[in-house]
Amino acid sequence: MYKILAKFIKKDRMKFISHLELINIIERALRRANIPLKFSQGFNPHPKISFAAPLAVGVSSEGEYLTVEVIEKIEIDNFKERLNKELPKGIKFIKCKYIDSKSKSLMSLVEDATYIIKCITQDSYNINEVDEILKKFLNNEEILYKKVGKRKGEKIINIRNNIRNMMVLSVIENEVIFKVTVATGSKGNLKPEIIIEKLMDLEGISIDLEKLRVHRLEIFSSMGNKNLVPIDRII
Amino acid sequence: MNERIEEILYKVEKPSRYIGGEINSYEKEINENTIRYGFAFPDIYEVGMSHLGMHIIYNLLNELDNVYCERIFAPWVDMENVLRKEDISLFTIETHSPINELDIIGFTLQYELSYSNILNILNLGKIPLRSSERDETHPIIIAGGPCAYNPEPLADIVDFFVLGESEEVLIEVLDAYRKIKEKGLNKKRLLEEVCKIEGVYVPSLYEVQYNEDGTIKSFIPKKEDYPIKIKKRIIKDLNNVFYPEKVIVPFADIVHNRAMIEIFRGCTRGCRFCQAGMIYRPVRERKSEKALELADKLLRNTGYEEISISSLSTSDYSQLNELVRGLIDKYLNKKIGVSVPSLRLDSFSLKLIEEIQKVRKTGLTFAPEAGTQRLRDAINKGVEEKDLIDAVTNAFGLGWNTVKLYFMLGLPTETYADIDGIADLGKKVVDIYYNIPREKRSKGLKVTISTSSFVPKPFTPFQWEPQDRINTLVEKQNYLKSKLKHKNITYNYHDSKTSFLEAVFARGDRKLGDVLIRAFEKGCKFDGWQEQFLYDKWMESFEECKINPNFYANRQRGYDEILPWDHIDVGVSKKYLMKENEKAKNEELTKDCRLGCKGCGINNGFIGGVC
Repeated sequence: MYKILAKFIKKDRMKFISHLELINIIERALRRANIPLKFSQGFNPHPKISFAAPLAVGVSSEGEYLTVEVIEKIEIDNFKERLNKELPKGIKFIKCKYIDSKSKSLMSLVEDATYIIKCITQDSYNINEVDEILKKFLNNEEILYKKVGKRKGEKIINIRNNIRNMMVLSVIENEVIFKVTVATGSKGNLKPEIIIEKLMDLEGISIDLEKLRVHRLEIFSSMGNKNLVPIDRII
Repeated sequence: MNERIEEILYKVEKPSRYIGGEINSYEKEINENTIRYGFAFPDIYEVGMSHLGMHIIYNLLNELDNVYCERIFAPWVDMENVLRKEDISLFTIETHSPINELDIIGFTLQYELSYSNILNILNLGKIPLRSSERDETHPIIIAGGPCAYNPEPLADIVDFFVLGESEEVLIEVLDAYRKIKEKGLNKKRLLEEVCKIEGVYVPSLYEVQYNEDGTIKSFIPKKEDYPIKIKKRIIKDLNNVFYPEKVIVPFADIVHNRAMIEIFRGCTRGCRFCQAGMIYRPVRERKSEKALELADKLLRNTGYEEISISSLSTSDYSQLNELVRGLIDKYLNKKIGVSVPSLRLDSFSLKLIEEIQKVRKTGLTFAPEAGTQRLRDAINKGVEEKDLIDAVTNAFGLGWNTVKLYFMLGLPTETYADIDGIADLGKKVVDIYYNIPREKRSKGLKVTISTSSFVPKPFTPFQWEPQDRINTLVEKQNYLKSKLKHKNITYNYHDSKTSFLEAVFARGDRKLGDVLIRAFEKGCKFDGWQEQFLYDKWMESFEECKINPNFYANRQRGYDEILPWDHIDVGVSKKYLMKENEKAKNEELTKDCRLGCKGCGINNGFIGGVC
């Protein structure tokens, strides 16, 4: 049994595909490409594919990861080429490599993810003004957010520590672009949209949430030390 | 992607319904020679994409040069609200073009309760609803599918209907369209031209007159050279007809998310309530060799993890064993599921199903349709209680524990004794389970009994019969409910109000066009979706148009009455239907016509099937 790690992009119309739909798309592309898949045991066998961190509907990405298990070692460039031919426009495998078949699940490795967020503000700003607002915002020791769970009801959490890093990339009149790195995965998870909601709440900047556009750049892991590296570097 | 469309996709649930670009969907160049055709399914994407007919026509037309077929679905309510609020026209899936840019839009009429969605789609596409309000600058609106056999309720809306299997006739229609368009499109000339094509019905070329009691007095072509009878089209040989090998693989999780191979058309059983059993005659099979070849291509081109065969009564397929064996041998080890619906559950089928389902035993479904042998004989459902008992005994012995039983309420000649029969059958099934030794049966018996309300349909032996009134149906449902209070039995029933509306439109005439438009204006749409159905608005619409819906649903018709669909020829003769209706009253069976011709009339001029 062999395990392939693949980095892929998901953009254009494919950003409207849900995570569940994506699983089907990848699975069917693998079947069309005639990849010798490894299947799970049991009465409802499924190919063994796992993803690093599900993407929300509407969010595009150039840093998605998955692993897929195969029963026959095929040449890696050949794998990538065959698969890319079968994928719908907007999803593309950009890097693939064999990794230790006993490596930890991707899901458990993920710690952070970096996003670009485009906001349309009600008032016009210049970059210094937005910088000031952001500084003030990040100086809060506590940024409390009311989380509404599916089962457990409401819960107030402090999200400040889940914002690892945030900066302004550009401001052109009403269009502000931020870059943020947030906790992602099982040890802590923060949706980038929530930061913008809190930014509005606490700093009084007015942003049209319907027009928020989010793009994921990369997913990171630290392997226990402080230096974050993209997922494909650490396995 | 069009920027405005992209913007609105952020505002709706399940945007993958609208994005297009699925594997095997077509991207074609559009130039002045292109005929732009819209295949419209008047329900949401998930329903429409599950329909095999759509895939056949879509691929057939897109393989032609100079024709581009795009898909149109009813947007879900949230999308409709956004479209209306932002004044954006309903768009095609392929190019996101406003649908009024197309040359022809063809609706498929799969169920009567989708008619209001047709109007909604036209309106969302800024296309006038009535044929008479549209000219050359608007798309030509056509329709086909099983409900087109009684086209009259849509006669004011649709420019022309295509009757029967449309693989050939649609191409003839497009040829005629192209010829006329080259000379400068003129809608009137087009309609006069296409009415000469066999299988095409142009309602505006006919004049209907009514008697004082509301029944039809006469139905006459406005000119002598228009056909008096319009004959449905069939494909003679399924082995040589076009079949889509590269079907679209949707992104969204649709209702039937699998590859489908059609193994035959038509049915010889002759159940008297069943419209499909009459209108799709004669039976024509596809050879198993051909079906297996198609299965292979389909799976290679789609990557689907499941393949299903499609037909009416699957067990009647003469090469069923060969076919299913072939599918199992080839695909189960590739982890591709095989599903074989509509099997009669004899011991052969149970063995097959067991093999297909391996460990996981999903529920088994039986459709006795009626609770007593008397009524089953009256409707010519050739099933005996013993068949059900044997099948259930076998199934429980093999480890099944979930059984679904389907029945109809309100069948002609039904009495409360027949309803008692349903409850008795349910209890017998429970008893059979508990009589099997504990160690031999799976734990947790679940028997689900579902009743639908009988809707008399055109071109069936029951086309003259009244439907039970709504309150009668409700009483029957409540009666059965009270008799089925058992911990292992769940009872489900359909809302009788929707069945009533279905019955009105199934046997409606041209006068219903006004009601339909009125109901649409009052916001009726998605009538088949229980939570969207606005019964009161429909009743208001009938009242305001001074139309009595009971006239259509609940009236006993005489054999001498001119029925609204009498000018359509489906091959099965009216005489045969009358004879069958009389036999129903005498509880007399008519055997499967594979065992000997029953003279239904389909072999007069529709050669190609079993006949």
